[in-house]
Amino acid sequence: MFRIRFHGRGGQGMKTASRILGTAFFLEGFEVQDAPRYGAERRGAPIFAYVRADKAPIYERGVIDRPGLVIVADDTLMGVSAAGVMDGVDAKTVLLVIGGEDPEIWRDRLKTEARILTLKSFVDEETSERPYVGAVCAGAAARLVGVVSKARLEEALTQELEEHGKTVISKNLGRAREAYDTVADDEGIIIDVPNMPPAEPSPPDWVDLPLDPADVASPSIYATATSVQVRTGLWRTMRPVLEPDLCKKCVWVCGSLCPDGVISADADGYPEIDYDHCKGCMICVVQCPPHALTAVPEGQAQGEIEAAEGAPP
Amino acid sequence: MSETRFKAMRDMPSAHLLGAGTAMCAGCGGLEAVHEIYDVLGKNTVFVNAAGCMSLLSIYPFTPFRGSWLYTSMASAPAGAQGVRDALDILKDKGRIGDDEDLQVVTLTGDGAAYGMGLSATSGAIERGLDFLYVCYDNEGYGNTGQQTSGATPHGAHTATATGESGYPGFKKDLFSIWAAHEPAYVATVIGSEPLDLARKVEKAATMTGPRLVIALSPCPTGWDYDPQLTAEIGHLVVKTGVWPLKEYLDGKVTHTRTPHPRAPVEDYLKLQGRFRHLFEPERNEVLLAGIQAQVDAYWAPLEESP
Amino acid sequence: MTTLTRKLLTGNAAAAWGARLAGVEYLPVFPITPQTEIIETLGRWTEAGEMDAKMVLLESEHSMLTAAGAAAATGVRTFTATSSQGLLYGMEMLYTVAGWRAPFVLVNVSRGLATPITLEADHNDILAARDSGFLQLHCATCQEVVDGVLLAYRLAEDEGVRLPVIVNFDGFLLSFTREPVQLPDADAAARFLPTYDAGALAFRSGHPVSEAVAVLGGTSYSYFRYEMQRAAETALDAFDTAAAAFENDFRRRYDAVECYRMDDAQTAFLMIGSYSTKAKAAVDALRLTGTPVGLVRPRLLRPFPEAALRKALAGVRGVAVIDQNLSMGKGGILHTEVASALYGTDNPPALVSFIGGLGGRDISEGEFLEMAAIAAKAGETGDVPPPRMLYSQSELRQMRKFQAIAAVEGAERLKEEAEEVAS
Repeated sequence: MFRIRFHGRGGQGMKTASRILGTAFFLEGFEVQDAPRYGAERRGAPIFAYVRADKAPIYERGVIDRPGLVIVADDTLMGVSAAGVMDGVDAKTVLLVIGGEDPEIWRDRLKTEARILTLKSFVDEETSERPYVGAVCAGAAARLVGVVSKARLEEALTQELEEHGKTVISKNLGRAREAYDTVADDEGIIIDVPNMPPAEPSPPDWVDLPLDPADVASPSIYATATSVQVRTGLWRTMRPVLEPDLCKKCVWVCGSLCPDGVISADADGYPEIDYDHCKGCMICVVQCPPHALTAVPEGQAQGEIEAAEGAPP
Repeated sequence: MSETRFKAMRDMPSAHLLGAGTAMCAGCGGLEAVHEIYDVLGKNTVFVNAAGCMSLLSIYPFTPFRGSWLYTSMASAPAGAQGVRDALDILKDKGRIGDDEDLQVVTLTGDGAAYGMGLSATSGAIERGLDFLYVCYDNEGYGNTGQQTSGATPHGAHTATATGESGYPGFKKDLFSIWAAHEPAYVATVIGSEPLDLARKVEKAATMTGPRLVIALSPCPTGWDYDPQLTAEIGHLVVKTGVWPLKEYLDGKVTHTRTPHPRAPVEDYLKLQGRFRHLFEPERNEVLLAGIQAQVDAYWAPLEESP
Repeated sequence: MTTLTRKLLTGNAAAAWGARLAGVEYLPVFPITPQTEIIETLGRWTEAGEMDAKMVLLESEHSMLTAAGAAAATGVRTFTATSSQGLLYGMEMLYTVAGWRAPFVLVNVSRGLATPITLEADHNDILAARDSGFLQLHCATCQEVVDGVLLAYRLAEDEGVRLPVIVNFDGFLLSFTREPVQLPDADAAARFLPTYDAGALAFRSGHPVSEAVAVLGGTSYSYFRYEMQRAAETALDAFDTAAAAFENDFRRRYDAVECYRMDDAQTAFLMIGSYSTKAKAAVDALRLTGTPVGLVRPRLLRPFPEAALRKALAGVRGVAVIDQNLSMGKGGILHTEVASALYGTDNPPALVSFIGGLGGRDISEGEFLEMAAIAAKAGETGDVPPPRMLYSQSELRQMRKFQAIAAVEGAERLKEEAEEVAS
């Protein structure tokens, strides 16, 4: 069985990637499961989708916990533990990261035995954006599994994007073909595991639940503003950055219009942006009366901060 | 009534009460309004919520609130407010809690609940004279499930259930008038992109007793299909074009708090949104555009004629 | 000194008295036949100042139950009542407020469900609420109604339980039927039910709490649901403790399972609701002929008193389980519940399933005697007959006459066939 997981951000087309790959497998005569994993997550938040494909009926269900291939559409997710990119990744897994770093760097950072591939050419160097990255993921996956022809990939993509019209299909086809060709050297690198042996025997550590009092055992929160423990700043791909020389300190404008209320006045009356939680909507950038706020790609902004702080590369 | 705290934009709070880190979309126009409202109301509040996007504000164990919160159901949030309000009054009357332990009871629902499933519960609460503030964040569709048509969807808009070339054939329900017909203490329309107007109205409502109801039009990047950075811009345009009149009902009279002059053409507002793209592409739907403009013109005509 | 007052009360009035004696402070209500007399009675008392409670008439049962749960969650003792369609209209909120762990008492006056819409009693309404998280207490007399409401508050507010409770009794058969009722002394009732304290689960300024928040993922969800199950299980002991205290204070005993003349019984009727007193009459009649028959009646249906039921039925050979409800495609709901409780016990009795009393249909003495005979025979032979839906030739004849009037297709022929069978 092939087990493939796609990780990206809400809005990057991971569900579409899983559907294109699922349909491509199906057209090749495979039994297939494909599904996105939904939560409360919104655009920019880490999400994932997955595909199982086998010649025999598939009895596994739910999230893939021992993936053969993990594709990460956005390398800024690699450091986000909540994204779960590395869940179940071991020496038998192939990890394909779409981003600017070399495989060795990820191997060092992640301390993993997984085989790591990277696709640099699919990231726009200026904007850090990844146009049609869903199609890129599907195209690369189709080649890596080694059992999906380019024709079937194209047919699947055309089917899945039918309602979006010819222009969208043709742009996506281009990116999918490009990805399919780019990973040609690694065709068939993903092993079709015919029958997974059982996992390490680990009997469930079942527990008899204690009778907790109702105030404990009801979904009630007694602390305030605990939501700040959720780092929604991770959703951000662009960062609003203040140019203090231009700022007129009218913080009531950006501070009120920011939906998340993450802009407040600092001691000197300048707007202070809480980057742990700023989701990167850029309303403040558009609305700033003196245009003192600019949108900077998140990766670039983080690089500049690290450089300024003299952090090791 | 005492004079407003909010004389100018500079009087808007420079620090914010609602905790960040919620699951609302980047650029959410509903959250823009709700965090502004929370700054005005303060933490001595209990928000009684109906099913909708904002039900995901609190996901165990994370809550953005510094006061209290109760999720009820889609249809009955005003009845939940009734139970909490009545219980607090009983406890105060009997001396079991002090006045200092009392709370402002706030119902928070989307347009799906406010315009549809919860309308009978709202009507009941108003007719019973319930002392509560109702805040509806109106993003003109069932946003939390992917923007299907609701009673608040405007004429001609595309939704997940109105995908034809003319969009939604019906018209946005006039909830302001439905509420006002009940003769409650106060009704107002607001929008997060006009924080000063919003703050003054919420401040006024907070000092009153009886049923007080506020509809916050909530530009929705996800459901209306536009770049999240445009939320405030679209908010400004919906007011400038007269599509969303800012007004209040008080003592039997409706007063407009903002009269756009000159009114910008509705196209300025419509063309920024994917849900109206079919009005402009592949070719302009002049009939539908003129119809939408005519509807807005008809609304303002009596107001613009009188001096 | 305790003053004892015995007076004739309908079941509805008894329910109202239960709420009054329980010191209920808040009454969110909505009318529905055959329950309306309860809220009218309470309304008169609150208006006259005889009862210190606030009544609010909501616009639906869905809202009524929301308000009740919200008030209980804010810390006042709350009572409400409904029936049938009203219970189903509020069904979403039954599940919801139970999860709030908001303890209050809901009286349900049982009435058959649409379609066809009808007025008289059966138990499909209350059994639809079986899995809601509400505990259920079933009454057979007007005395049990007033006492049951007091017991229900003690159970609901028990610290280990903290779940709402439904007190159920039959429309018409009890709701509009007067019986002598010994009203508990008001002061003793107040001692039995001290002022309700919601503790940490209450809305107060300076004590922020976000309640009933969403969870994502099965781990959190399972924990909260499992804990409701633990609380409901705990309610078995809590009921026994409450019933013992009640017996001490008021000299009336309420076991979770009532056993009537079961000491040497070989055969038993097993049922809930007010027709169980007709079963008692049949037991008495049969005992006169020396037939060892008794009645087993669960008062508690949630939590289900399985151990007590097993004990009550130990040594019994045949049981006639009489369900005043019908789960289409399966049969009697109580029958299923009892069968599962007895599964795996040594020498379990033969359980014969009977469906009867739907929509207030009578169950006659002759039918009780026949059911006892069938159950006794099944106990002796081990041969259990298929479920029997109680319905007579004369009833079918009556239906054929109605169908002829309604001009349904082929009605005249059906009517003639029925009359031929009769003659």
